[in-house]
Amino acid sequence: MPRDNEQTGEFTPKILAFCCNWCTYAGADLAGLNRMNYPADVKVLRVPCSGRVNPQYVLKALQSGCDGVLVCGCHPGDCHYSTGNYYAKRRMMIFKRMVEFAGLSPERFQIRWISGSEAGKFRDTVVEVSEQIRALGPMENDAPSRAAIDAVAGTVASPEADEELFAAAKEAI
Amino acid sequence: MADVQDTIRERAAALLSSGEVSAVIGWGAGRFDDVRFPLVVKRAEDAGKLVFDASCVQMTAKRLLEHTGEGKVALVARGCESRAVNRFIADHQLTRDQVYVIGVPCPGMVDPATGETLKRCAECQVRNPVVHDELVGDPVPEPKPYRFAEVDRVEAMSREERRAFFDEMYGKCIRCYACRNACPCCTCRECFVEQDKVGWQGKAFNVNEARYYGMIRAFHTGDRCIECGECERACPMGLPLMVIMHQQVRDIDKLFGPYEGGGLTDSGPDPLRTYKTDDIEEFM
Ligand code: SF4
Ligand code: SF4
Ligand code: SF4
Repeated sequence: MPRDNEQTGEFTPKILAFCCNWCTYAGADLAGLNRMNYPADVKVLRVPCSGRVNPQYVLKALQSGCDGVLVCGCHPGDCHYSTGNYYAKRRMMIFKRMVEFAGLSPERFQIRWISGSEAGKFRDTVVEVSEQIRALGPMENDAPSRAAIDAVAGTVASPEADEELFAAAKEAI
Repeated sequence: MADVQDTIRERAAALLSSGEVSAVIGWGAGRFDDVRFPLVVKRAEDAGKLVFDASCVQMTAKRLLEHTGEGKVALVARGCESRAVNRFIADHQLTRDQVYVIGVPCPGMVDPATGETLKRCAECQVRNPVVHDELVGDPVPEPKPYRFAEVDRVEAMSREERRAFFDEMYGKCIRCYACRNACPCCTCRECFVEQDKVGWQGKAFNVNEARYYGMIRAFHTGDRCIECGECERACPMGLPLMVIMHQQVRDIDKLFGPYEGGGLTDSGPDPLRTYKTDDIEEFM
């Protein structure tokens, strides 16, 4: 998928931002009202609450062409539904560690609390995340180098896994 | 273990003939000397078919759910099966009065392929049943071995190497879902991989879809995992599935207080199904 800016030839990332309806979305709205400038790399997706963001959406987005995902909600204690973001926080803490353990660049998945009055923080966050992802390049850059593949080759599956059987199975499918 | 086996047979026969239970779930002989299969015994005269020795590698608890609604069912339970019983109760799959637990302290099983201690037994934290109606045999010592060696090894790698490690792992997954079917936490009536109309899990056979399945399943079970290691043992491709379970368990333990693995009690809430207002904050 060519994602280079046609005029400048520069890579423009696709970043998906889950924004909760009550805080971050309002913050983004306020940023617009105040005519703040920020890169158009971020696509805002409004959700009722950060607790609504099933962690599988994050992985799905990263596998479906997004170069980064931002999950934003109200500050803990300020949730419109009282507790949604507390649950989100625990889930995202564990899920973030898990995907990073599995080799995702940490910058590609970030979580921030932005309130309805923090238009400036919304702008700064978007600018910051966008710069980080521009530096990383497209999602495909996360793929391991030949040296890394060779370094772990053969240390993954136990020897009982029959390579030939596996190759034949893969061919048959 | 011969007397333990005899006692299990005796007790199974007694429970079945008195009508207290409608079935006894344990292990039976397989085609070879070192192969055992989960066995459901329904008649007292068949109780002699039950086997208990170092080749009983399967964690049989999931068979319980196939026999709910048939009255009380007895389960021959070691540490892992007993924790699975607690897991089922906490997940509302079972009530305590539906199951009669014949507890057996476990000395650890032997992997027929290598002749060494089975990997899931070598990492086992709870060998004595945590819940039982009667105990067959004497309690065994709990060595509580270190179980995060593989997590340490992977964590020490660079990001690219970790990505390569998981690429290779998920690249080998044939998406047979044996890991899910074996897991005592995976009791959903409709699993996300079968929600065809919703379509989260794609049908294509490639590493990304396998990664999606593997990681999402791991996350669904991460905070409830009883660390029985049965998913890894059941995997026909021999993939090191426990590495991502243990990694989550360790993080949950570090961040949200002591987590000795699910199933030690039969009540919730599980760490990711609750919160504290003073949880540490890292997303400002
Ligand atoms: S995910 Fe945990 S509970 Fe489920 S089979 Fe694997 S080790 Fe056992
Ligand atoms: S993988 Fe998830 S949805 Fe499927 S059975 Fe397990 S817990 Fe349920
Ligand atoms: S048991 Fe192994 S091969 Fe089968 S779906 Fe699970 S990880 Fe993949």
